[in-house]
Amino acid sequence: MNGRGRIALLTTLLIAGLTAPALAQKPVKIGVLTPLSPPGDAAAGQFIARGAKMGAEDVNARGGVLGGRKIELVVEDDAGTPEKGGAGFRKLASQDQAVAVVGQFHSSVMTAVQALAEQFKVPVFSTQASARQITERHLEYTFRTHVIDPDRCQMWTRWVKERGFKRAALITENTDYGVGLVEETKKAFASLYPGGELKTIIFDRQVVDLTPQLLEIKNWKPDILLNGGIGTPTYLIIKQAYDVGLHPSVPMLISYDAPSRPEYWKTLGEKGTWASFIVYYHPTMRLTARGEAFRKKYMAEFKEDPVYGALNAYAQVLLLADALNAAKSDNSEQLVKALLANKFEGWNGTISFTRGEGPYWQQWTPPMLVTQYTKPEMPFAEVKIVYPSELKTGDWMAAPKR
Amino acid sequence: MDAFLFSQYLLSGLVIGVIYSLMALGITFIYSVMKMINWGMGEFYMIGSYAQYALIVSFFGPKQWYLALPLAMAGVFVLGVVIQRFLLRPMFVGGIERRDEYATIVTIALMILFRNLAIVLGGPNQYAPPDYARPTTIGTLPISGNRFVALIATLVLLGLFYLVIKKTWVGRALRGAAQNRVGIQTAGIDVLRLDMLAFGIGVALAAAAGALLAPDFLVYPENGAISTFKGFEIIVIGGLGSVLGSIVGGVLLGVIEALGSVFISAAYKDLYGFVLLIALLVFRPTGLFGERERSV
Repeated sequence: MNGRGRIALLTTLLIAGLTAPALAQKPVKIGVLTPLSPPGDAAAGQFIARGAKMGAEDVNARGGVLGGRKIELVVEDDAGTPEKGGAGFRKLASQDQAVAVVGQFHSSVMTAVQALAEQFKVPVFSTQASARQITERHLEYTFRTHVIDPDRCQMWTRWVKERGFKRAALITENTDYGVGLVEETKKAFASLYPGGELKTIIFDRQVVDLTPQLLEIKNWKPDILLNGGIGTPTYLIIKQAYDVGLHPSVPMLISYDAPSRPEYWKTLGEKGTWASFIVYYHPTMRLTARGEAFRKKYMAEFKEDPVYGALNAYAQVLLLADALNAAKSDNSEQLVKALLANKFEGWNGTISFTRGEGPYWQQWTPPMLVTQYTKPEMPFAEVKIVYPSELKTGDWMAAPKR
Repeated sequence: MDAFLFSQYLLSGLVIGVIYSLMALGITFIYSVMKMINWGMGEFYMIGSYAQYALIVSFFGPKQWYLALPLAMAGVFVLGVVIQRFLLRPMFVGGIERRDEYATIVTIALMILFRNLAIVLGGPNQYAPPDYARPTTIGTLPISGNRFVALIATLVLLGLFYLVIKKTWVGRALRGAAQNRVGIQTAGIDVLRLDMLAFGIGVALAAAAGALLAPDFLVYPENGAISTFKGFEIIVIGGLGSVLGSIVGGVLLGVIEALGSVFISAAYKDLYGFVLLIALLVFRPTGLFGERERSV
């Protein structure tokens, strides 16, 4: 080899030597596709993004994944609409080369993007989207660590029955979530509470004046009002039900954990008192070591108790990191195999994904509890669990007459 | 269905219809004078709601909503004047051939800009000013105190608007501009200054609707979208350029939506107004009070 050849060889080796570690250290990207602007539930998306970021920080602080590669989050706003969700997922999968996508909140968006997940072979996780069909379709790249609506509706039907409410009115929006709530609640009433009467009203998600619908419900004289709004409509229902004299004289059960967020009292003031609501996390719950570490860090950083969305997104990022390490690869097929073959530490228990029947496909379900605010500006940490009876920390209370 | 329930739904539609007419009046007023459609009208509604929220929470408190309202309107009026002066005026003095397209592009750009600014400055979450008044009743209808306040304030604003337009020199000049922009200049009136005034007044009316409905319909970056939607429906129903048409169209839309959502289905509430709109376009294309444009 002449001198020129030796120089060329050395240069090549030098370049290879310098770039190899850099390639090895290429970050592993995880997408966070969640609502960060209206008409989506932007507050929920902010908490989810916050939890996911803390998850990535924790993984990176412990040395990253796959022998030292850092986790890099790429956050995209789906605005709660399938079209923006689809565009966001395409970007995450193709441009950003994300190995998985977490953060899905709205069932309509999740339903749209899960088809893309199959196409791009990128696992997508529902963080808080609960429609039955999401996991009932038995798609290879769809995973969920959140409740499913049939369980939610059976639970609130049992609660309605146990409380002795004969007439229940459900008002909800015309989304996959809302329509699913109506179908599942009808089924649950038919099977669990045949003596109970159910009235359902589905309104357009864009509508802001719900007075005629709430008057219709008031004149039907229900014993309980089931609030199936998501995001802004949840608050509109509470406010306007109060104004027409329906709430709190008629008790209200909110279908998800929006009232656990700090914005609840700011938006509703005293009108938010006496509302009961379903939660998946309560500050008195016993958490895993991972969940407890997150709670402490969150409280130190934000000076408030974490909300479920943040907790769940955090746990999803950590379980993805564990799955990547178990797979020893960021290849999506290997990742799916690792997700199915292993058990992961969640925030309040061990998460495993099995391919069960119906909607119990690649699905892990957290607990569901009914809680209630009984005084204005009540901190979420002080709310009592009123259902199920085995986890009760207090009794459900009817509002005094206005 | 008894008369009691029917009257409740009817009144509910009437109340919201009157309030929506404020928005429609703003759109139709700007169109009458400037012969342009302001597609960003909902964003002035949104800015009005944010301004009212900020003023009430920071300075006045909910009981003095009537002090915050004119200030919120004045702020949006000034914003409207500035926008007209620097962004829309070139439409009339810059030799722009396609004025309609120019106005459409500018106002849609403003719509996107303001909506995103609201997200950047106020975050994507919703806010609500505290209630202006306790819940009350109008006849058979239990109603939010805020909506009652909004109804009264809307009627007062409509009355004031009528007085200004009918009884003052400026009002006569604005009516003149609405009838013939060239003709009025021959009488020595500066039509470009009238444009600024008309645009300012129009967007201030939208801001008033946003401010009045803020406690009930909440404050968030996209809260103007639905009212813009309603406003355009109303002006087509009532007749583009007709003040009376805005009010009658608003009431009609409110009542039809309320009754349709109860007697047919709430899931298609927005559809009922469009059915009325399409029927009117077929049988009376100029709307209820609109006049066929005459050209020489």
